[in-house]
Amino acid sequence: MAIEVPVRMFRYKAGGEPRFETYRVTVPDDANVIDVIEMVWRQDTTLMYRHACHHASCGTCAVRINGYEKLPCIVPVKEALRGRSEITIEPLRNFPLVGDLVVDVAGFFQKQIASGLVITRPAEATLDGARYQPVEVFNESGGLEARPYNRFENCIECGICISACPTMAATDKFFGPAGLAGIHRALQTTDDAQKKSLLLALADGEHGVWRCHSAWECTEACPQNVRPAEAIMALRRELIIHKVKTLFGMGARR
Amino acid sequence: MTTQSEVAAPSRPRRIWQWADVRRRNLGMYAYVLNRITGIGLVIYLYLHLAVLSTLTRGPSAWDSFIAIAKSPAFLTLDVILLVGMLIHGLNGIRITLNGFGVAVGAQKALFIGLMALAAVCTAVGAFLIFTK
Repeated sequence: MAIEVPVRMFRYKAGGEPRFETYRVTVPDDANVIDVIEMVWRQDTTLMYRHACHHASCGTCAVRINGYEKLPCIVPVKEALRGRSEITIEPLRNFPLVGDLVVDVAGFFQKQIASGLVITRPAEATLDGARYQPVEVFNESGGLEARPYNRFENCIECGICISACPTMAATDKFFGPAGLAGIHRALQTTDDAQKKSLLLALADGEHGVWRCHSAWECTEACPQNVRPAEAIMALRRELIIHKVKTLFGMGARR
Repeated sequence: MTTQSEVAAPSRPRRIWQWADVRRRNLGMYAYVLNRITGIGLVIYLYLHLAVLSTLTRGPSAWDSFIAIAKSPAFLTLDVILLVGMLIHGLNGIRITLNGFGVAVGAQKALFIGLMALAAVCTAVGAFLIFTK
């Protein structure tokens, strides 16, 4: 069965005025919102939007659907229409706007790179376990961890947490939920004291963990359960322990 | 095919005001905004408080005339509002501090609800005492 969907689409082109334009598209009733965006594009090929995998693993298509940051590739049209007569689609907030639904993610990725995490997933590249980092899966006595921690590779770098974060709205310099979660994840992958120290210093900076004002919106909005707010609090805990130890001369100064 | 409607161009001030925009947000954001509003209120109160105390330098009569106003029901209502602000800000501050130390991070919502319930109870008791004693 097909359904007709009214779409209120944010439109903007460099030099022009931002505006909303309403389209009516017909999609199968089990379609997702990304299908709606693609149908709009078929009507109007000047629509700029980003997409790639269609299954929530690339993080490319993130937009705001009815004001909520979502991956349109996994939000059913039926769900987006629940309790309303049209679907509103807007670009992410807190990013420079390129046009229509496309935002400039360059600055975001620069922060993501700072933690030194690789984007590929070496641990999942092979199934024989040979490329697993021992600290990731095994405890000190060599047994499997009863509670393996939430791997940061869950993060698909979609930018949804940046759009949801109220601190990000006030300053672009804030490292941001994803960037700080990346630092936290990178800390867990290494036993190298110097590297740990550098990562903690990065998190401790003026625009690091202390800039977060605990609105928890990143964790609420994250489509991949990365829980950036919890990572930020864990980093603070490590930093506080480090600072207290340093204060009483129990730890090495950074 | 299309109908058009104008929207305002996103500006820097509008972006900064997002911190106060709780539409489609969650409990953590409500706590965040509540803490800021009460924080600003308490700062304003602090200066009002200092201004009022400075009437003491103008002798007992100036102070007594202020106290006469302070006993009016309208002024006592302001006292209750101050108490609400202090309780919300102070108790939520405990939650933020605990979470900021990495303690009870998973319980931030439960902490907020619990502490705000405590704030409500303390406000009710406080208001009763303010208006009856």
